[in-house]
Amino acid sequence: MSALVWLSVGLLGGVGALGRFLLDAAISLRIGRQFPVGTLAVNASGAFLLGLLAGLGAGGRAMLLAGTATLGSYTTFSTWMLESHRLGEDGEMRLAVANLAVSLLVGLVAAAVGWALGGVL
Amino acid sequence: MNQDCLKLTTYFAEHDKTGGRFLADALLDCYGRHQFATSVLLRGAEGFGSRQHLQTQRLLTLSEDLPMVTVAVDTRQRIEPALEEVAALTTHGLVTLERARMLTGEVGQVRLPEGLAEATKLTIYVGRGERVAGRPAFLAIVDLLRRHRIDGATVLLGVDGTAHGVRQRARFVGRNADVPLMIISVGTGAAIATALPELGAMLDRPLLTLERIRVCKRDGHKLAEPEPLPDADPAGLGVWQKLMVYAGEEAQHQGHPLYVQLARRLLQAGAAGATALRGVWGYHGDHEPHGDRLLSLRRKVPVLTVVIDTPARIRRWFGIVDELTHETGLVTCEMVPAFHARGRRGDLRLFTLPAGEGA
Repeated sequence: MSALVWLSVGLLGGVGALGRFLLDAAISLRIGRQFPVGTLAVNASGAFLLGLLAGLGAGGRAMLLAGTATLGSYTTFSTWMLESHRLGEDGEMRLAVANLAVSLLVGLVAAAVGWALGGVL
Repeated sequence: MNQDCLKLTTYFAEHDKTGGRFLADALLDCYGRHQFATSVLLRGAEGFGSRQHLQTQRLLTLSEDLPMVTVAVDTRQRIEPALEEVAALTTHGLVTLERARMLTGEVGQVRLPEGLAEATKLTIYVGRGERVAGRPAFLAIVDLLRRHRIDGATVLLGVDGTAHGVRQRARFVGRNADVPLMIISVGTGAAIATALPELGAMLDRPLLTLERIRVCKRDGHKLAEPEPLPDADPAGLGVWQKLMVYAGEEAQHQGHPLYVQLARRLLQAGAAGATALRGVWGYHGDHEPHGDRLLSLRRKVPVLTVVIDTPARIRRWFGIVDELTHETGLVTCEMVPAFHARGRRGDLRLFTLPAGEGA
C-alpha cells in the first residue's frame, strides 16, 4: 500500500469521527436525553451508507477509503455498548434493551435498504 | 477548635476556560495559593447552567462538558482575600458564599439548638485513602453516623483539592490517598452532637463543618416549605436559597431515575441551573449503607441534586421537587447569603453579623 493511501485512511478516518461527533452532539443536545438517539442516528446512517457502497459494487481502494476508513470511524460500536450499559446502571432496563434491539434492527434494515438501492442505481 | 467559617462554592462546566486555561485548574491553583483548610473539586453526573445545555454522563458526546463544583472552607479572614480573584476567574457559572461552623483538632461538646423543622448538616472532609483501624475512613465514618441514628450520609469523591492547606490533585494512576473526599450528612442537632466527640477521636486530623438547614421533605412526607425569605436582607444585600435533593440512584419517578427527571423538569421550567452529584457510598434512614459492587449492572449509589436561586424562584422549583419526591428522597433548604453570577444581580459581600450568630 502506498504512503498516499496510508495517509488518506488516517485523514478520512478523522473526517468520519468528526462527522459522528457533530451529528451526535447536534441530535443529543436537541432531543436525546433519555435515549441515545444521536448514536442510533449515526450508526443507522453509517449502516445505510456502507450498504449503499456495497450495493454499488465498490471494492478495493474505494471500499477501503470510503468504507473502512470513513464509515468505520463514523459509526461506533463502543458508544452503543457503553450507553446501553449506562442505561442499565441507572436501572433503565427497558431503555437499555430497547437501545440494543432498536439499533440492531434499524441498522440491519438500513444496511439492507442501502444495498438494495445501490443495486438499482 | 470550633470557629465561624465561610464556605465558598462555585458551579461551572468542565470546559469553561478563563485566561486560556481551564477554570477548574485556575480555581484550585488559587485555593492552593491561599492554603485553604480544605477544598474539593467534584465532577457532576448530570446538570445544566445558564447556557441551558443539559450535560449527562449517560451519553458519550454529552459527557465531556459535565457540571463541576468546587467547595472551599476556611475562616472568614482567609476566604475573603480570595473572593475578588474567584469572582473574576468565574466568568461563566456561579459563586456562592455561605456561613458555617468549622471544627478542627480537638472536637469537644457542641450545643446545636434548633427548631421543629430545622436540622443540622454535618460535612466531614477526609483523604480518599485515609484509614481508620485498617479500613477506609469514609466507611468507618458512615458506620459511625448510622450508629448515631443520623438520617443519612453521602460520600462524594473529589478529583482535586487542598487538605490542611496543601494542594492534593488526583492522578489517573496512583493511590491518590490525600485527595479529599467529602461526606455530607443530615440529622437532628441532638444526634449530631453526640456523634461529634467520637468522630473527633476517630480521625487523626478532623475537619468538619456544621450548618443549620431546614428539612422540607423526607420519604415523601412534606415537613415544611422552604423558608419564605425576602429577596434582600436588612442591609439591602441579596439573599438566595439552595435546595438539595438526596435520593438513591434507584429512586425513580415515572419509571426513570429521579435525578434525571428532576434535571429535565427544571430545565423545561426555565431554571437557571441544576447539578446532580453522584456519591460513591451512603445510606439513608434504616437502610444498610450501599455503594457499587463489582459485576453488578445496576448502580446503588446516592445522588444529590443542587438548585440555587432567589427565594421567589426557589418556591417555584420546590413545587417541581415536591411533585417528583412524592414517595422518596430527602429535600433540604438553606439560605445562601452571597451570590455572584454574570448577568444576574448579586455580589459576594456579606452582611456582618454580630459575634456568635454565625452558622
